[in-house]
Amino acid sequence: MALHVPKAPGFAQMLKDGAKHYSGLEEAIFRNIRACKELSQTTRTAYGPNGMNKMVINHLEKLFVTNDAATILRQLEVQHPAAKMIVMASHMQEQEVGDGTNFVLVFAGALLELAEDLLRMGLSVSEVIDGYEKACKKALEILPDCVCSSAKNLHDVTEATSLIRTAVMSKQYGNEDFLANLIAQACVSIFTESGSFNVDNVRVCKILGSGVTASTVLHGMVFKKEAEGDITSVKDAKIVIFSCPFDCMVTETKGTVLINNAKELMDFSKGEEDLMEAQVKAIKEAGANLVVTGGKVADVALHFANKYKLMVVRLNSKWDLRRLSKTVGAIVLPKMTAPTPEEMGHCDDVYLTELGDTQVVVFKHEKEDGAISTVVIRGSTDNLMDDIERAVDDGVNTFKVLVKDKRLVPGGGATEIELAEQITSYGASRDGLEQYGIKKFAEAFEALPRSLAENSGVNGKELISKLYSAHHEGNKNMGYDIEAEGPALKDMLESGIVEPYLVKYWGIKLATNAAVTVLRVDQIIMAKPSGGPKPPQGQKNFDEDD
Amino acid sequence: MLPFILLKEGTDTSQGIPQLISNINACQVISEAVRTTLGPRGMDKLMVDSRGKATISNDGATILKLLDVVHPAAKTLVDIARSQDAEVGDGTTSVTLLAAEFLKQLKSYVEDGLHPQTIIRAFRTATNLAVSKTKEIAVSVKKDDKQEQRKLLEKCAATALNSKLIAGQKDFFAKMVVDAVMSLDELLPLKMIGIKKVQGGALEDSQLISGVAFKKTFSYAGFEMQPKRYENLKIALLNVELELKAEKDNAEVRVKSVEACGGSIQTSVGAMTEDTLGQCELFEEVQIGGERYNLFKGCPKAKTCTIILRGGAEQFTEETERSLHDAIMIVRRAIKNDSIVAGGGAIEMELSKYLRDYSRTIPGKQQLLIGAYAKALEIIPRQLCDNAGFDATNILNKLRAKHAQGGTWYGVDINNEDITDNFVACVWEPSIVRINALTAASEAACLILSVDETIKNPRGSVDGPPGGGRGRGRAHAH
Repeated sequence: MALHVPKAPGFAQMLKDGAKHYSGLEEAIFRNIRACKELSQTTRTAYGPNGMNKMVINHLEKLFVTNDAATILRQLEVQHPAAKMIVMASHMQEQEVGDGTNFVLVFAGALLELAEDLLRMGLSVSEVIDGYEKACKKALEILPDCVCSSAKNLHDVTEATSLIRTAVMSKQYGNEDFLANLIAQACVSIFTESGSFNVDNVRVCKILGSGVTASTVLHGMVFKKEAEGDITSVKDAKIVIFSCPFDCMVTETKGTVLINNAKELMDFSKGEEDLMEAQVKAIKEAGANLVVTGGKVADVALHFANKYKLMVVRLNSKWDLRRLSKTVGAIVLPKMTAPTPEEMGHCDDVYLTELGDTQVVVFKHEKEDGAISTVVIRGSTDNLMDDIERAVDDGVNTFKVLVKDKRLVPGGGATEIELAEQITSYGASRDGLEQYGIKKFAEAFEALPRSLAENSGVNGKELISKLYSAHHEGNKNMGYDIEAEGPALKDMLESGIVEPYLVKYWGIKLATNAAVTVLRVDQIIMAKPSGGPKPPQGQKNFDEDD
Repeated sequence: MLPFILLKEGTDTSQGIPQLISNINACQVISEAVRTTLGPRGMDKLMVDSRGKATISNDGATILKLLDVVHPAAKTLVDIARSQDAEVGDGTTSVTLLAAEFLKQLKSYVEDGLHPQTIIRAFRTATNLAVSKTKEIAVSVKKDDKQEQRKLLEKCAATALNSKLIAGQKDFFAKMVVDAVMSLDELLPLKMIGIKKVQGGALEDSQLISGVAFKKTFSYAGFEMQPKRYENLKIALLNVELELKAEKDNAEVRVKSVEACGGSIQTSVGAMTEDTLGQCELFEEVQIGGERYNLFKGCPKAKTCTIILRGGAEQFTEETERSLHDAIMIVRRAIKNDSIVAGGGAIEMELSKYLRDYSRTIPGKQQLLIGAYAKALEIIPRQLCDNAGFDATNILNKLRAKHAQGGTWYGVDINNEDITDNFVACVWEPSIVRINALTAASEAACLILSVDETIKNPRGSVDGPPGGGRGRGRAHAH
């Protein structure tokens, strides 16, 4: 028998060759914290209106220029397991609310950084975690008190504009008024009386050329397609939508036609053609003047469509077809038959136009209450348009959040400092070691206005001290003034810089959760990565301690 | 202590001001590549791609597309050239130069520590001012007077062609281009102008057919004996998508007067007919170069035309096609928005003066930045002079003086080493070209300035999400 080579004693002995294992305060916890700190450093400079963009090239060599934390993280493919927790928290924020992803990152990073101090001081991990959790609960209790106003009428475009402005400002500083107006128009037009708002109903269409300020919003839909036939514009269109190809009906099975003589041959093709003509005629007689199809358009059919002056548009995507049918109120027909009046839809104006170099088909509703509205984004580079699309998404999500919960809290760091102050005083009133945890939690809040300041080139510490003194005197709404040179304060409510309550609520909750989860880890065991094209083995983070 | 890795092995990151500077330098390199193609005395570039295919071109967008740039910041410049091409068709070299020059002027401010966001804000203001001023001083030509409009369009086309290879025959081609565009209908679809290349002959042998021309010959039995020339005939187009752009014309053209086999089977309609049967005045088959062409001329409902290009080398005709495409786009744009400005660097000098004067009235850092913007605008006339071999400093001095005295339309005179009133000299271009160029260039510059970190993921393996390469250290270059 071959001599068995003894492995290192301890845990590693039980694992396969190549597995890595780290445990203990020094190795595991501090390294985790350091990794998360590095991650939040990256996105810290992207926070706020003065945040800088990052250029990320993902593994498919696609280029992204953005300051949206969630996008950056998604493209980064973070490997470190603990950092991945924070990334996940950020994704959850994106899904829950849509905005505030960078807030989660910066806050969680700050929490962990300060936790390191406490651990070095000698506190045990569970004490720190305890303190954090208590502080978080208290913060969420106090948060409703910070509410400074609420959105009154979301059907009003000007009000919606001012609310969305803050969200857009942190992405596209300088264009925010213009963009916020566009987004507000789009959202208000589909915001039904009953109060339901579906994010999917705001579509985005990107067309290369011109500049951002040439973007517009349309009630209706825009498709980057051309009309198939000759007719290029219809007013007061009655629309019939087919999901099948605009063709004569094909038999499913393979058929054989027996032709006996030349006359039958001639009649055969003629018969097919006549059938086609009859069908198209029937459609026309039902009143339709626009045919939309999800499949191919046969030449023969097209010829007759042109003859009977039907406009034909072909859409490739099933989703586009569905959305269009919702917009115009038509029912999608699966077979080539003449539609009944109920099955047909209506649109005020359908026309073909050219924007930049692209031909687009526009389905436009004159009235305000179309079911779908489209924001047509123009821009000089693809990257810019992608970024504007993300800004539009954020704006629309903000609107959605506001529909859910109308409360607003002041932005610009005001809420954070207010919470910090109140939690500090709460912490001072507690006895036990959790006091330290709670105080550090409050200190973590300072990271946010500090990032805002540093991104503008202003001294962070000076700003924080000014903010504290203002809040101490009772001015709850004082926040950082972006426009001023140097650390200056302004009333956020007056200047209209407000954020939805839910964004902050979820942000604090998710960030604390993530930080606490990372802190709970004290052993990391990584299996050897399997080679080849198989998806990578999951790493295991064992909670040895619980 | 072992370093730990946050991102996948092979990820490359760089951050901060040095990153910004390196991005700006990358953009400089790109502009060096296209700089010498600007203007009537601009030179062309010969590029060979990986397959050995050679392309000669003067058009900025084409050159940049063939360059296959990998640097991410420089790619932005390539993108704006493409968007300028898409939106307007011409001015692609100008837009690249403008963007790079903006960045060059700002480099010193960035190095000094001025925050990029301040710069971006100032730039946006400057661009808005420049665009509104352009709109203000642009001259619009009345559309009602057809003669006037035609002359205007010809001048614009001539200016666009001036900087290209075929500048020698620009009058000939300008007239052809305007004829072609005028024969289109309201929507002015580009596809309706076909351009066919035939080797051989000289440039001047190129002709414009108001109708359709395509290469295939008769393809049914007995075609040799068919008369080659019909007049006033009705056409049944069978099973055909008459795509004038594509060479895949599977046209089996049968003239109604010949009952070949079964009447009109499976008719489908081509571009020039609305009823089942089409009409045209003249149909003939001619020999052009070494090929036989079928020409349909004089179609009453014809909203199409074809330009047949003759020329020597293949690269030559390709470049001619690109130049004509640019000119056609310009004329189309001019028809849609009818305001024009004078070319030859005149509009840039005027804007530069205006912005410089404006900057003196505002306090703070904005003053310096808008001044830098104004200075950057002068690159266009400067480059025009350099390419022509003139003394740029001298000419620019004269231009500045003239503009200060109120000569709004003075620009570089290429023929005599001097300055002249370009409006009178009929060097015109549609204002939309300049406005778009300014907007795009400034957006690109703002975009590049706003990036302070680049993170590059290693290329993934072909089978999807890559598996290996895990570690626990992070290489972070500050």
